[in-house]
Amino acid sequence: MALIEARALGKSYRGHRAVDDLSFTVRPGSVTGFLGPNGSGKSTTMRLMLGLDRGDGATTFDGVPFDRLDRPMRHVGALLEAKPFHPTRHARNHLRMLAAPNAIDDRRVDEVIEMVGLTQVGRGKPGKFSLGMGQRLGIAAALLGDPHTLILDEPSNGLDPQGITWLRQLLKHLAAQGRSVFVSSHLLQEMAILADELVVIGRGRMLANGPVQDFISHSGLASVVVRTPDLALLGPALEALGATASTDDDGAVVVRGATAEQVGDAAHAAGARVHQLMTRQATLEEAFLAATGLAEEFRGTQQADHQVEDRR
Amino acid sequence: MIGALRYEYLRLRTLRSTYWLIGIAMTFQLVMSIVIAAVVANSSSAIGDDTVFDVLATIGASAGFAPLFIAFIIGLLGVFSTGHEYRHGMIRATLTAIPNRTHVFVAKVLSTVVVSALAALLCILIALLCLVAFGLEMPSVKDFVDMTAGTTIFTVLFSLSGLAYGALTRNQTAAVALLLLVPTVIEAIIRAIVIAIKGFSDDPQEQGGFVQILKFLPYDAGGKLYTRASIDDLLSFLGYTPFGAVGGGIVMAVFVAALLGGAYALFLRRDA
Repeated sequence: MALIEARALGKSYRGHRAVDDLSFTVRPGSVTGFLGPNGSGKSTTMRLMLGLDRGDGATTFDGVPFDRLDRPMRHVGALLEAKPFHPTRHARNHLRMLAAPNAIDDRRVDEVIEMVGLTQVGRGKPGKFSLGMGQRLGIAAALLGDPHTLILDEPSNGLDPQGITWLRQLLKHLAAQGRSVFVSSHLLQEMAILADELVVIGRGRMLANGPVQDFISHSGLASVVVRTPDLALLGPALEALGATASTDDDGAVVVRGATAEQVGDAAHAAGARVHQLMTRQATLEEAFLAATGLAEEFRGTQQADHQVEDRR
Repeated sequence: MIGALRYEYLRLRTLRSTYWLIGIAMTFQLVMSIVIAAVVANSSSAIGDDTVFDVLATIGASAGFAPLFIAFIIGLLGVFSTGHEYRHGMIRATLTAIPNRTHVFVAKVLSTVVVSALAALLCILIALLCLVAFGLEMPSVKDFVDMTAGTTIFTVLFSLSGLAYGALTRNQTAAVALLLLVPTVIEAIIRAIVIAIKGFSDDPQEQGGFVQILKFLPYDAGGKLYTRASIDDLLSFLGYTPFGAVGGGIVMAVFVAALLGGAYALFLRRDA
């Protein structure tokens, strides 16, 4: 069991504040997703937590900073790089090398190799590994010390759908055992299934922190979908409620600012027939895009696409 | 600290370049020692026993006209000890396994010292075996001790400078270039410029003066640890008196210590 407490983390690069006063807690028994647009400071934050980058603030694992942990891989397993290994050192030897200072025996090395499905290539050179295989080796390194805390930066990068499912089940299983799992990912649908809690940042600052459902429901993007042939009657009634209504592509009316009960009552009072009435929850993706819309560091434009087409 | 040393031991043992570099160095040493010993054994001219041993142990570098081959090859292991960390992004994995940066750095220094010293001592052993195999006379005890200590200390210091270049530049290619160019090209250029200026001065044979800075070219000074005659001797007419083995060794040791000190300070301060 380990409580991760990050307090006032900060980091500047040549005057640019990459991470600014970030504080959050990751509790045992949960998977905490770490979300943010590209360049928002997720990887930097994770490196700060482990003392790999020099910056402000402090992170403790059950009250102890990472660099004071005895045999740290037995406490905290980390995956921070896509391919952090020498290309010609055999995968098994790579793990044995990391295991040596942490007093982890070769049996455990073989166990984690089997756990991540690399038994057949354990004596292969990682330089020839695909991105997904390299990622599995990185995950094996993180699991090596059977740690109570996992910090994983984009662990699903390069994994195939089976691999992503395997990873999800593994992380949920580890969290269910009471471990703390802190994981960043760009796969929002995957994160919606995997995470219990979220830390959402933009431009290095905290945007949201709490349970996934709270983040979605507080986004204000939940709506009520109504199908009615009497929009002329329902429209003014919704306006009177202070709700906003718009018509989507297939003719349904999407109402925001009112509950399904309020919309149903208003329709009844206005004498409008209702063929369908349902509440639609926002998705994590919608909530994330709404939360980070103004916090994107790097934004593509459609104009760029047009310019490419013009050149053709 | 023991954990960091275990890590370094496995790091060296599980890298092919460790075996390749030591293998190349020892093969070259063995082949050249056999060739030189065979030539000397069949020669009718009288060569001092110490000189034969010196030439065999250094493959001619003791004459001052060639670099110490073993140092240049084993020095690459010094570069790789830090260079690989940055070239392959291993540094973050290393520091998550051993968060104490002092332990990581000291373990790298110690492992480089041990490997370099063992390689240098193996060269001495090969030279002795060749003397025995070709029926040549053994060196005097004093020369044996001086040459063994000299080549070992130089090789260790040379490798440590490679380690420091790797840590300072965090770029393996740049570190290899520095290790090869500073002793051979940069110091030679500095020497040529100083000699030219001195040669065109009003009194080229005046003792002392700024020509004395040549004494402090670190690798050149360190070379006095194993050279018994050198090109520097020809420069005495310019008023230049190089350091001996001890003085030269101290100059090189101070230079390498400064490099290591800078590398260590930056290693503690920088992001991994």
